[in-house]
Amino acid sequence: MLTQRLLADKLAAVRRSQGTASPSRPLAADRADGLARWLGAELRVADVGRVILIERSIPLPVDVAAALATLPAACYFDTETTGLSTGAGTVVFLAALGRLDGQRLVVHQYLLPDYPDELALLRHVAAELAVAERLVTYNGRAFDLPLVVARLTVNGLFSAMAEIPQRHDDLLPVARRLWRRSLGGARLADVERGVLGVERTSDCPSWEVPGRWFGYLRGGSPELLVAVLDHNLQDIASLALLEGELLRLRAGGWRNAAALDHRGMAIELLRDGRGADALEVLEHALDGTVDPAEAAGLRRLSSRLLLAGGEPERAEALWRDGTRRASIEAATAWVEVARIRERHRGDLRGALEATQAASRVLDLAFALGRGGSIEAIARTRLIVDRRLRRLRRWVAAAERRRARVAA
Amino acid sequence: MLTVPARDAEEAIARLVADPTIEAMVTAHRVLEPRPPRHAPWPENLDPRLRQALHDRGVEALYTHQAQAFAAASARRNAVVVTPTASGKTLCYNLPVLDAVARDDAARALYLFPTKALAADQLVELRALSDAAGIGLKTHTYDGDTPANVRSVVRSAGQVVITNPDMLHAAILPHHTKWFKLFENLQYVVIDELHTYRGLFGSHVANVIRRLRRICRHYGADPIFICASATIANPRELAERIIEAPVELIDDNGAPSGRKHILVVNPPVANGELGIRGSSVLTAQRLGEQLIRDGVQTILFARSRTAVEVLTSYLREAIPAPDGHPSTIRGYRGGYLPNQRHEIERGLREGRVRGVVATNALELGIDIGSLDAAISVGYPGTIASTWQQMGRAGRRSGTSISVLVCSSSPIDQFLAAHPEYLFDSSPEHGLINPDNLYVLLNHLRASSFELPVPATERFGLEETPLLLDMLQEDGYLRRADDDRYYWSHENFPASDFSLRTGAPENVVIVDTTGDRHRVLGEVDLFAAPLLVHEKAIYIHEGVQHHVDRLDWDERKAYVTRTDVDYYTDASLGITLKVLEVADETDAAPAGGRQRGEVMVAWKVTMFKKIKFHTHENVGWGSISIPEQEMHTTATWLIPPAELVNRYDRDTLDGALIGLGRVARTTAALLLMSDVRDLGVLAQVQAPFTGRPTLYLYDAVPGGVGLTERLFSLTDELVRACRDAVTSCPCSDGCPACVGPAIEVGARGKATVIELLAGMS
Repeated sequence: MLTQRLLADKLAAVRRSQGTASPSRPLAADRADGLARWLGAELRVADVGRVILIERSIPLPVDVAAALATLPAACYFDTETTGLSTGAGTVVFLAALGRLDGQRLVVHQYLLPDYPDELALLRHVAAELAVAERLVTYNGRAFDLPLVVARLTVNGLFSAMAEIPQRHDDLLPVARRLWRRSLGGARLADVERGVLGVERTSDCPSWEVPGRWFGYLRGGSPELLVAVLDHNLQDIASLALLEGELLRLRAGGWRNAAALDHRGMAIELLRDGRGADALEVLEHALDGTVDPAEAAGLRRLSSRLLLAGGEPERAEALWRDGTRRASIEAATAWVEVARIRERHRGDLRGALEATQAASRVLDLAFALGRGGSIEAIARTRLIVDRRLRRLRRWVAAAERRRARVAA
Repeated sequence: MLTVPARDAEEAIARLVADPTIEAMVTAHRVLEPRPPRHAPWPENLDPRLRQALHDRGVEALYTHQAQAFAAASARRNAVVVTPTASGKTLCYNLPVLDAVARDDAARALYLFPTKALAADQLVELRALSDAAGIGLKTHTYDGDTPANVRSVVRSAGQVVITNPDMLHAAILPHHTKWFKLFENLQYVVIDELHTYRGLFGSHVANVIRRLRRICRHYGADPIFICASATIANPRELAERIIEAPVELIDDNGAPSGRKHILVVNPPVANGELGIRGSSVLTAQRLGEQLIRDGVQTILFARSRTAVEVLTSYLREAIPAPDGHPSTIRGYRGGYLPNQRHEIERGLREGRVRGVVATNALELGIDIGSLDAAISVGYPGTIASTWQQMGRAGRRSGTSISVLVCSSSPIDQFLAAHPEYLFDSSPEHGLINPDNLYVLLNHLRASSFELPVPATERFGLEETPLLLDMLQEDGYLRRADDDRYYWSHENFPASDFSLRTGAPENVVIVDTTGDRHRVLGEVDLFAAPLLVHEKAIYIHEGVQHHVDRLDWDERKAYVTRTDVDYYTDASLGITLKVLEVADETDAAPAGGRQRGEVMVAWKVTMFKKIKFHTHENVGWGSISIPEQEMHTTATWLIPPAELVNRYDRDTLDGALIGLGRVARTTAALLLMSDVRDLGVLAQVQAPFTGRPTLYLYDAVPGGVGLTERLFSLTDELVRACRDAVTSCPCSDGCPACVGPAIEVGARGKATVIELLAGMS
């Protein structure tokens, strides 16, 4: 932090040097032109400013391209910015927009030569966004799009804002559901490494990005920006690959996918309204798991789906499968069986029997030392006993009623 | 029995005033006669729904000041309203704002309050009026307590956004694009409690307003500012410095008031030798006890949190609650949790709480209704706050009483001897220095993040271009071809600094008495070493807690409930280093005077255990808390060498302490500022000057210009000190002048007089 004295000294120094031109003023007016030439790119000049357009084309795997072609025309969108906050002082200095063209992904990268050219960049970006049917981003909902909207607002381009496609597929939440648990994170880099098999080599880490643009502006070499352009291009390529992978998984590819969280996959299918497929994923996962806690989680979700679909028998059978080994999970499974019998099949006596089974299993688990912690057993015990008492009361009452009716 | 008929309160007050033992202590007694209301006709352009709503709530006509404020707003003139507590000040701004919204529901207003509590209060009041008028106002507070899902609604649809300067600084302005609907249509900015924006905080707020105005210009808005302030000497000047535009002063109060007794009470001399008077706390307790017993709803203002707790427990002991009932006497201070505070405020309004002991936290416009009696225990430091505290008592009709109980501190004794100062002299100035480089530069960075700065623009200073170049050199800004400076740094500048550098964060007090830890409250970082050092007795709502451990790095103090017969009092050690001399005069033969930049460091080193009631010292302990530093400005006096050479070191040491004490009090009076805004340090062999030196420094980081102004007043200062000491009737020094002989030495007072004579 500056102290008042340092400040006064500095101010005095600034005052002394007053009159001499600022050292870091732009070196030459045609630096943008030089940059464009250096990058082998096109410089677009308009009355509102200049912007450098770098056009690149990336071949896509045949199956990926074919799958993506079935979707409404997408704009794969990613920005590089001068900071991580979405405040009004963070500027988009590089925006990439990719679209499918046959077997290839054609990417337009718009690079800002300097701050005053922002309006030109925004106009180009907005024009390309406007013709897309949907937007595909990674964390764009929280970051890229609000930032673009903020920039449009600062520059008064309100009409451009209205033309941004309504449909926005942010792949981050999907990736979180499918891979965060198995990969230990769901940054794009995690997914690239763990799922897409992408190894980044020539580009720079994200945290270096703003500094490189500032470095160029302060007179640094255009070379600083090459790695940033590569980084940004790879982001777009990965977006398309990722969307292809998601299509493959949805089309049944989940059967042979490594590192996939099946519960997440089932939820993903459910969001598509594909309840039967979701159940299949869960059954498949249940067959493959040995972890009782995970199995319980899978059963819970499956059973919810089955009950919602009016299939209490299948739901009950699913839980019955979980009661085989004497353990807390088995007791919990019996409790679920009881709940289904009571609520969905109106079978109070059956529910009582299931609860009694839960109680026996719990005793057994405790005796065999398989129960986990004493606290966990005690907690389950409480749940079981409470249900047992209530069901006994209700069953007795029902029998009295029946006896009265019979009399 | 919840409320007492006004007549009974009136009789109780009359009894108190007539009590001969109390009369003996009274050094001044004024009676303010009742004042009838003065009304103005309804403004013709006021929306009829509002007029009807007010009519339904029993408002037959506007008071003159309310009508004047409405007229100013209608004519697009900025205004500052200065009228006492409970004079209907909020209507002065709510009326024009609601009227604007009623006309055009795109209209927007921004309300700034210094605290979240006041904002919450205002929300309730504003909603009540708009609901009554059927306007359907969309309004909400926007601060740290606003739930995330409400925030986005407030941003886009809030017609009146109620917030605080800190939030405006850190959350709203830097994200102005999310608020463009507010800024595009901003018609009014309301700044209430303007007088709290003084000193360093005020300097920051003035810069936040500069930033606000830049954003408004960008979106094509030109809002009217309506400010409200408690009585200070220069409300208009302060408002004009903060908003940097002409402001109309509205101070002609049309609200009625009942009869009011104002008493200045000086406890009798308890120890003639030491010049010590009876305790102001005990005297206030006695007055409060008598009033509360007689059913007079009373507020007592104590100067420290400890004093609040001590007084609360004394009063509770004296007036025990009936079995099974909660006590009707409550403490109220910073550090209580919001729910507890709301409950006490409600209790006061509804009359369940009959007595409250508060710090100045209740000085601000928190709605507790009006009480019958207010007792200030010790001069609160400024005339403005004295009137604020006294204003808490006083109904629109019926009699009320306000009492200032003087402590033995010099300024209190000065007031006891010269009460006319309180009644007749103007209250303090609200001084700010928005161009304090330290403050301004931070805001210039924040502002350039918000919008690029054209090289021709001025942000406060004429030298703005130089500052911009400097920020460019430091790598924060880039001057591009279009001659505008753009923020070009990864950081988010508004999060780099706080408007209240005085209290960057709080220390949380954790009660570990029960099975589960429980947060008791908080104290700010500056007060923490004094209040929650290890082994301190921390009193919260009258319950004593022993501080077992203070985790300074984690900002947590762990306490357990305890019951002992003492409280603790920590003492502060201060060192000072001169960094740079900015100006000096050698008024030989009167000695040297200099001013400049200093680094003040303070450390709490030890504490005393003081027994309740007898106030004797029953032990002590040491404290190890890291030293804290502050960079500020100072003025210092160096008595002439041939004068100081006459004395031995001990005599001089004592005399300098005495001189410091009288100089600080007198300087505060000359500058019309709070004594606490000035620090004093006497060094018998100052490292910087190599001679005995008396330093007076601005007690806020960066300084707000107090000692800079003092430097030009040093002749007056020395003369006034001399008058004060020579006219004091004591023989060897007393707390009212240089301090008791036991502290300044047997020849202390005489030496101070000689020093002052030599320095004039």
